Parts: sequence; C-alpha cells; structure tokens
Amino acid sequence: MYYRYHPFLKAFLKELDAKIIFSEKTNKRILDLGVKYCVDEACLPIKIFHGHVASIKNQCDLIIVPRIIKEKGGEFICPKFCGLPEMIINSIPHLPAITRKPISMDQKKSLDRWVIGLGKSITNNKEKIMKAYSKAIRVQESYNISINDKNYSFKIALAGHPYCVHDSFFNMNIIKKLNNMGVGVVTEEAVKKDSFENEINNLYKKPFWEFTRNSYGFCMNILKTHNANGIIYISSFGCGIDSVSIELIKNQVGDFPFLILKIDEHTGEAGVDTRIEAFINMLEERRDLLGNHISPFREHLYTHQDFI
Amino acid sequence: MVITFPHFGSTYIPIKILFDELGIEYIVPPLNSNDTLEIGTLYSPEEMCLPFKIMMGNYIQSIEEGADTIVLVGSNGPCRFGEYCELQKNILDNLGYHLDFIVLESPQVIGKEEFKSKVYKIVRHSSRSSTDRWRILGKSITVVRLMEQVENKVLLRNGYEVNKGEHKRILYQCKNELLKTGSIDKALSVLKYYNKRIEKTPVDLKKNPVKIALLGEIYTIIEPFSNFNIVDKLMDFGASVKKGLSVTWWLTDAFLRPLKLNSINIRKASMAYMPYYIGGHGRECVGEALLANKEKFDGAIQLFPMGCMPEIVAKVILQKISKDRDFPIMTLILDEMTGEAGYNTRIEAFFDLLERRQENVLFRC
Repeated sequence: MYYRYHPFLKAFLKELDAKIIFSEKTNKRILDLGVKYCVDEACLPIKIFHGHVASIKNQCDLIIVPRIIKEKGGEFICPKFCGLPEMIINSIPHLPAITRKPISMDQKKSLDRWVIGLGKSITNNKEKIMKAYSKAIRVQESYNISINDKNYSFKIALAGHPYCVHDSFFNMNIIKKLNNMGVGVVTEEAVKKDSFENEINNLYKKPFWEFTRNSYGFCMNILKTHNANGIIYISSFGCGIDSVSIELIKNQVGDFPFLILKIDEHTGEAGVDTRIEAFINMLEERRDLLGNHISPFREHLYTHQDFI
Repeated sequence: MVITFPHFGSTYIPIKILFDELGIEYIVPPLNSNDTLEIGTLYSPEEMCLPFKIMMGNYIQSIEEGADTIVLVGSNGPCRFGEYCELQKNILDNLGYHLDFIVLESPQVIGKEEFKSKVYKIVRHSSRSSTDRWRILGKSITVVRLMEQVENKVLLRNGYEVNKGEHKRILYQCKNELLKTGSIDKALSVLKYYNKRIEKTPVDLKKNPVKIALLGEIYTIIEPFSNFNIVDKLMDFGASVKKGLSVTWWLTDAFLRPLKLNSINIRKASMAYMPYYIGGHGRECVGEALLANKEKFDGAIQLFPMGCMPEIVAKVILQKISKDRDFPIMTLILDEMTGEAGYNTRIEAFFDLLERRQENVLFRC
C-alpha cells in the first residue's frame, strides 16, 4: 500500500516538519528480519512488512502502521491488514510508539480522525495540521503509479495486489525483466475503475474484497479489449484472497494466455525466470502462428536437413 | 425441489427435524468420510481452506443422491467464507450440475425483501400454514439450543465423572435417539430427558481435571471430521472441555450485531489485545482465550484450517497472551494432508504438559 499512498504521508509529514525515516527498499536483510519475527503461517508481504518495521525500529519515535479497513464503501481489504498493528506489536520486541487507529477510506470522517490524530502526536498546532492535510490530499490526487508501456510489440498485463506488482524485490524485478525481453507492461491502475464495476456486477455475488474486485475487473477488461497479449498474475503463497480471485479469473479466461506466479520466501529466481521466458516464448509462437495451435517443432525439423 | 446442505457438526439433526416437520423434501449428505474429502479436494482449488473442500464433497455426494438445491448461509465479513457460494456455484456448473444455490445472508446486507424471498423459496413447498412455519422454526432453534446445552454439560462434567466414559456414551445415545424421532415435539422431550439424566450422572467434585478450551475457526471447532474428533480424544483422556464457539452463539451474534449487543463479554475481554474486528472469528478467538484464562482453565487449543487469514493474526496475539499470562496455548493447523498420528501425539503431549503443571502431580524423575 506504500506504493499507492506514500505521497500523501510524505507531504503531510513534511508540512509538519517531522523528520521522516523511510525503511530501505525491500532487500534480503529486510526479508530475513521479517521471517525471523513473523509467524510462519503469514504470507510473504506480511513478513516483508514485519521486516521493514524491524529494520527501522531503533531509529525513530513513531512508526506509522496503517490499519486500512476499507477503501470504498462495502469493500474490505485483507483481514491481515486489519490486524496488522496487533501482529506487529505482539511479535516484534522493543518497539517505539506506533499508530493503531483504523482507517476507513470510504468515510471522510474516519480518515480525518486518523490524520488529525497522527498530526496531534507530532505538533499541537491545529491550523498547521489542517493545512498540511489538504496539501497532502492534493499531492496524492496528482500522483500516478500506473504503468502502461507503449513502445513494445508485446504487452503483458501484470495483475495482483499493488504491493506484489510494485515491489521489485518481492517479484524479482519482473517489470524490468519483461522490458529487457522486449515486452511492455500494463498495470491495473492504468485502466479506469468504472469499467471494473460493470464486470463485477456480472458475478453471482459481489466480492467484498477490494483486491479481488480490482484484479478481476482488470483481467476482464484486458480480455475484452485485448489491450495486452497475456496476463501474469503475481500472487503470494497462502493468500486467501487470491485463492478466490484466481479461480474467478480462471473461469473466464478461456484460452487467453494466463500465468500465475506464486511467490514465497523460498521461491528461486531461476525458476521464475524460466517460467516467464517460457510464457513469453509461448506468446511469440502464438502470434507467429496467428492462432493455429500447431507445434513449431516440425518447421525446424526440415530447415536443418537442407543438405540432404 | 430437493434441498441439501453442507454438514456442520451435528446441526444436521435439528435441520433434518425441521425439514421433516415442514414437509420439505431434503437429502442429508452422507456423513463426512474420507470419500467426501477426496471428492471435495479433487474439485476444489488447491489453495482453498479445508471447510470449502469438505463442503464440496458434501454437495457432490448429495447431488449423486438426487438433490437439486443447496442451502448455505453466507457472510459478508472479510473472511473467505463469504465467497464460498460464488466459487462453489462456478465449480458445480463446470462439472455439469446446474443447481439452485440459496444463500441466506444477514438481512442488513442484502435487504429485507431479498432475504424474505430467499426464505420463501425454501418453504414454498411446505404444506404448513405460515404461522405453523414460524412456530416450527422457533422450536427447531430451541432444539439446537438444548442440544448444545446437553453437549456443553457433557463436555464440562466429563472431567469429574465417576464411571469413565459414561458421559460420552450418554451424549451419543442422545444424538442417536434424536435422529430417530420424527417430530419436533418428541425431539424436545428427548432433549429435556437427557438434560435431566446428565445432571443425575454421578460426578466427583473433588477431582481436579485438566480443563481445556477449544478456540479458533468455527467450522474446525464444530465439525468433528475436520478436527479428527478432538473433543472425543480429549474426553477419553478425562479432560473437561469447553468449546468457544457454537451454532447458537453464531445465531445470536448474527441477530444482535445490528444492535451492537452481540457477545459483549468477548468484546470486553479482547479489548486489551485486539480492539477491532478483523473478520472471521479472529477477535472472538482472542476474547475466548482471555476468558478461558480468567475462568481458570488449564490451557487452550487453537484450531484453524491452513491459510485461514483471521486466525493467523489471532495466533500472533495468542502467543503473546500465552507469554504474558503464563497460559499454555497450542495451535493445530488442519488441512487434508494432516496425519492423524502426528496430530494425536501433539494432543497427548500437550495434555501431559497441562497435567504436569498441576501441583498435585509429582515429577517422576
């Protein structure tokens, strides 16, 4: 979530003259710390989050652990996010103060309360807090993390939770790898949200997770518009939400290329590379053969035997 | 229309009586067995949790016997359970079974009208008048309540019993007799009889049995097949057991939630460690652990299916509680691969540990 909302916090805290310490970009050390402190059953993103907190706990007075309950009315995000502060408090020793209030982004009041509460723990000047708040909202609104490459002959839709898609350590730098292979990337933020709603309304029961709604809506959009040649879904092992959303998507994809990458702390980079390469190769063959599914193997059989 | 429903502990008994009384055609899925699990696992997504797989097995087994409508309760919490119906419908459609799914959700979420129409869909084939239906529904809820009362009494008194195994035998007798009764009034009188009979069973109050609370995810607590009948195992060891969550609790909780009067004691207890709801029954689990500690239980066992999100959060907090309050809590995670022998060993070891912690046991070495 940092990837989506950090400009807001950054602008807000800067206006309040607080000194901000960001944890480093995710790396091996952070992952190791996370695995050390976190319960075994949690998923990789949660472990990485633990690692981030543990890595900066000695340098600051207040760690902001957002407890985001929902982003829009009637939608929730993962239960682990709702209990994140508790998990942190109870598994990492010697913590500085951390934020515990819940945020429901659908209600302005709840967000207001959270922001003002956060401001008050830094300064007592209320006017200053309000000014910083409105500025931070503006900064957030003008910020855009979406990726939509144009200059490549191939394009792949990267679906998955925002932290899986945008954390380059988590997904082993998949965006760069794809770009190096001459493949462009499009992410869910590049597609308008309104189109998601229509897709979701086609379901028997509306899913109540924001992540499922976004990934499902995004993939359906790609299927309809053919805005990309294939979909790669980045998921973390043991994710309860993905176990639902992937099934929902799988039900609809038909023969559209769809690759699921399940990642946990034991996943080897070489294996991921091979799978991505194979997937891209498959896409290339598909394009070359214009849809007929004959194996390209026979073609090469005779080119080597010209001398006979 | 032939209705079927997934198994959920012994709730099939009151449901059977209810449908009998209403005159609705139904099929009770065959009792959970390895076959059920195998069928369920075959057709379910790999990463789904254990309850989903067992339920899938239930559906398919009863479809084979002729069911064409599935009744399921739904939820709108951030736990996976709320998404079951969508996925299960898709899977069954893909398998070529086109069935009706009737998902009963709390009226606040889907609107009163829709709730009514869904209930109507179930009862429209009933020959009873509508006042009769309400009366019967009320009675069947009483059956559920009494049944749980009997069970809870048996579980608690089990540790104090004089003749070993007597309580457990009575419980099974009671369930068997309930299954044989054809009418709701008979069922009520059977339950009342057993309620009294249990109180007359001799107990030795001077005993100091090991008392264990079962916490965690509601399905794995209530459905004995999913937890290898942990309750019976603990009863055989001579422990007193308390189940944290039950069907009655779930019903009252669902009805009182709009008024915010639901499970006040749990919410109060969990305040210090988890002040917000995180979906599923994570908060209840924490609250129950603290309550059990307060009620001087010797230890607690947390049960949840592999990958259960709310319970993972709860587990972290339980570890902390365990440390803070010197209260042993063991976590058992269940899925279709869990082996019974390893599971038994862990329960036995935990039980031994609790026994040794009691002062009256001498260390032998």
